[in-house]
Amino acid sequence: MSKASPSKVPTRVADPALESLFDVHEATLPNGLQVRLLANHQAPVVSLYTVFQVGSRNERPGITGISHLFEHMMFNGAKKYGPKMFDKTLESNGGRSNAYTSTDLTVYYDDFSADALETVLDLESDRMRSLRISQETLTSEREVVKEERRVRVDNDIFGIMDEELGTLVYKAHPYRWPVIGWMADIEAIRREDCQDYFRTYYAPNNAVLYIVGAIDPKKTLALVRKYYGSIPKGPAPAAVLNSEPEQKGERRAEVRHPAQSPALMLGFRGPAARDDDTFVLDVIQYVLTKGEGSRLIRSLVYEQKLAVSLMLDWSWRIDPGTILFYLALKPDSDPKKVEAALYAELEKVAREGITERELQKAQNNLRSDHLRELATNSGRAHALGHYEALLGDWRRLLTLPSTYASITNDQVKAVAAKYFAPEHRSVVTLVPAPTEA
Amino acid sequence: MASRKSPSRKSPARPAKRAGGKAPVARKASSARKASPKRGAPRATTSALTLPTLHESTTSSGLKVIAAERGPLPMVSVRLVIRAGSATDPDGKHGLADFTARLLRRGTRRLNAQAIDEAVEFVGASLGVGVSEDTLSVALTTPSEHFVPMLGILGQLVREPTFPQSEVDDARERELAQFANDLDDPSIIADRAMVRALWGNHPYGHDVGGSSKTVKTFTRDDVVRFHQERMGPKVSMLIVVGAMDPQRVAAAAEDAFADWTGGPDAPVAIPAPERIALGGRVIIVDKPDQTQSQVRLGGPGMRMGHEDYFPATAMNIALGGGFTSRLMNEIRVNRGLTYGVSSWFDSMNAAGVFALSTFTKTESTREIIDVALAEIGGVREKGLKPRELADAQSYLAGLYPLRTETNESIAGSIAEARLHGLGDDWVERFRDRLRAVTPKEVVAAAKKYCFAQAPAVVVLGKADVVKKQLKGLGPITVVPASEYE
Repeated sequence: MSKASPSKVPTRVADPALESLFDVHEATLPNGLQVRLLANHQAPVVSLYTVFQVGSRNERPGITGISHLFEHMMFNGAKKYGPKMFDKTLESNGGRSNAYTSTDLTVYYDDFSADALETVLDLESDRMRSLRISQETLTSEREVVKEERRVRVDNDIFGIMDEELGTLVYKAHPYRWPVIGWMADIEAIRREDCQDYFRTYYAPNNAVLYIVGAIDPKKTLALVRKYYGSIPKGPAPAAVLNSEPEQKGERRAEVRHPAQSPALMLGFRGPAARDDDTFVLDVIQYVLTKGEGSRLIRSLVYEQKLAVSLMLDWSWRIDPGTILFYLALKPDSDPKKVEAALYAELEKVAREGITERELQKAQNNLRSDHLRELATNSGRAHALGHYEALLGDWRRLLTLPSTYASITNDQVKAVAAKYFAPEHRSVVTLVPAPTEA
Repeated sequence: MASRKSPSRKSPARPAKRAGGKAPVARKASSARKASPKRGAPRATTSALTLPTLHESTTSSGLKVIAAERGPLPMVSVRLVIRAGSATDPDGKHGLADFTARLLRRGTRRLNAQAIDEAVEFVGASLGVGVSEDTLSVALTTPSEHFVPMLGILGQLVREPTFPQSEVDDARERELAQFANDLDDPSIIADRAMVRALWGNHPYGHDVGGSSKTVKTFTRDDVVRFHQERMGPKVSMLIVVGAMDPQRVAAAAEDAFADWTGGPDAPVAIPAPERIALGGRVIIVDKPDQTQSQVRLGGPGMRMGHEDYFPATAMNIALGGGFTSRLMNEIRVNRGLTYGVSSWFDSMNAAGVFALSTFTKTESTREIIDVALAEIGGVREKGLKPRELADAQSYLAGLYPLRTETNESIAGSIAEARLHGLGDDWVERFRDRLRAVTPKEVVAAAKKYCFAQAPAVVVLGKADVVKKQLKGLGPITVVPASEYE
């Protein structure tokens, strides 16, 4: 069992409404595979998540995007279930499957009819045990991923700007490159690289299994042992070094691209997920942009009419992540003016903090959103995996409301001042360029 | 996010943009399509679905209320569905339903916009509007303990919105800026071009949000008139699912909607169209900076509640549904031409279409169209193999219970069944009806819907390169993207 690292968080009390939903059974197999099981008999369906601790954070230049390309390869055949058989078997048994890769994790998930449980465990353990990577499937899948890159980045303004911002916010850390990787690297990844990746990161001791839904936990654990028990343990993957230097001044970039309006994307480097500042930033994010009545939406969209829409994303990461702002503007907008208005709002939080009512409102909404996310088996399995991977223990999801409840205005002011300092800004401006016919 | 696009029931072949800089990259864009699942061989048993009992009442103003109690989460999901969708937009005022819906929360007789936002958002409730071709909906989710006051606010929004002049003007300006920015989103513009190519002048033939040309003309009077003439209790229903006693729901609904007046006595009738407007023709939307073409194909489909629904649905799972569909297998797995391809039936109350959506690098635009047409033609000529049909039935039947997992999805199913007269046993009987589909029925459905006549073709991309590739598919028209602002 991984244990949460001791930290000086104020008293953490479990929320009774949440506690009643999470009667989790836990086990660790001799090969290091960790298992979390949760029964929910509301509908005859089950969700299974397999979380591997590997993402673009584990890559290096030359093979950026391999975590994601490899994720695609996991669906292309193993020893027992050959090419095309994973999807074919799963779907014809009343299931569906997908996966995603982030900077920190690669997550595979299946939703299926409860009576397909054993089939799904057979399928999933087969590919963890004995993936087969053929040159043909790699060649074809590479083309699929290149199309994915074209749709997400090359032909998408948000994607283009986001890629630019990453290289500003990070100088040394692997968060510098996009999860999907640089096009030339996607082209260059070889079959041997994929085989190395599988051996290094896809051992049972680098994975946690979450099974939530219409199951009997005892019987399910017996099945997990039967299918996964004999997969050999692998070496522990090397730790990722965070060599990111301190930022000593604003960083700016321009993107010239055919567009109707300018746009702005800004990033501030935040704390690592396990840092207590993370939760204070969650509250600040809600006060600034959660809902039509939030500070930035009310001020920049409705009162000053400077932005068409705006977004603030504060996504927890294992290493210090990015507090990201994106503002869609009007054709005649002056981005400088919009920036000034945004900075005024951020400074105000650092100077005055927030009102008691805003704090209470943020806490109410954080709890509501938390509950909404837990409405489905898939949502519960995802939450267990997310909190365990990023905070070290899934139980943190039970105590989160009490963590938010303990946050004070002094903390809000200090955190805003620390992270939104002008010398820590990175700014990407989209400059509309004429279309080259 | 203050954003413009109403959630649509369409399934774009494109990843939903997740909030966030370094959003996770998924293996396949999840589609907004309904999926469902189950086993190959016919099965003796089916785990029953546990659905909450429906309790019906009618307010003194004539609003039908349907309540279903459901835990364990202390939350309630509310949906007010009004039959005043974009198909009821007046001539020359396309987008008015959507525009009006957005303005409902910008002020009522008792509360201004800020007060509404504060009241709803403070307690952790959320309020959203959505307009489709057939309906204008207001959706609310709230912690149970705040249900009564929140329903009261919902009642105010539809009973007594004030539509302040300044709010109307600001909304129009935002909307116009958004239309301009939409031109930079290839998949939005391709979808818009497709809607026009499929429906032409039919009431379903314009974007739910209208266009900059129509929105420019909106006045406060237009909005007031739409609200007065189109929105009212007799063409609406209120659906409440969650941790709340049905009796309390009925009482709260009476309090919230008792004085609601206005609107028609019966829904506006939408005629069925004669044919696909631009069937057999090719529209190229020129966007010279693209390295990838967005491709759409479409032909006739069916209205909701049509007897072909189950055979057509089963057929489409095998043709363009999951990861193992024929289209996915040939276009993505075997040839690596795309990241996403899907086909689906888009069924509305009066009529529907059958459409395909995908994208590929500029150079392989023709190839992807040819392969897609060949796969669809193959099903049209020969139907499905018995095994394929059985697998499709298992897939959809096995996953179907996922639609009963949340208060929102249950409310959605109830609304759909009521709107289109599908019967209250729609959800319970769905899997049995699906499993009863025979290969012969699939053959008949395929002959009818798999582009028996040449489809409308829309390609958004680099026109000067793509045009040469598309010879022989039908008469070609090249239009600038700005045509769809």
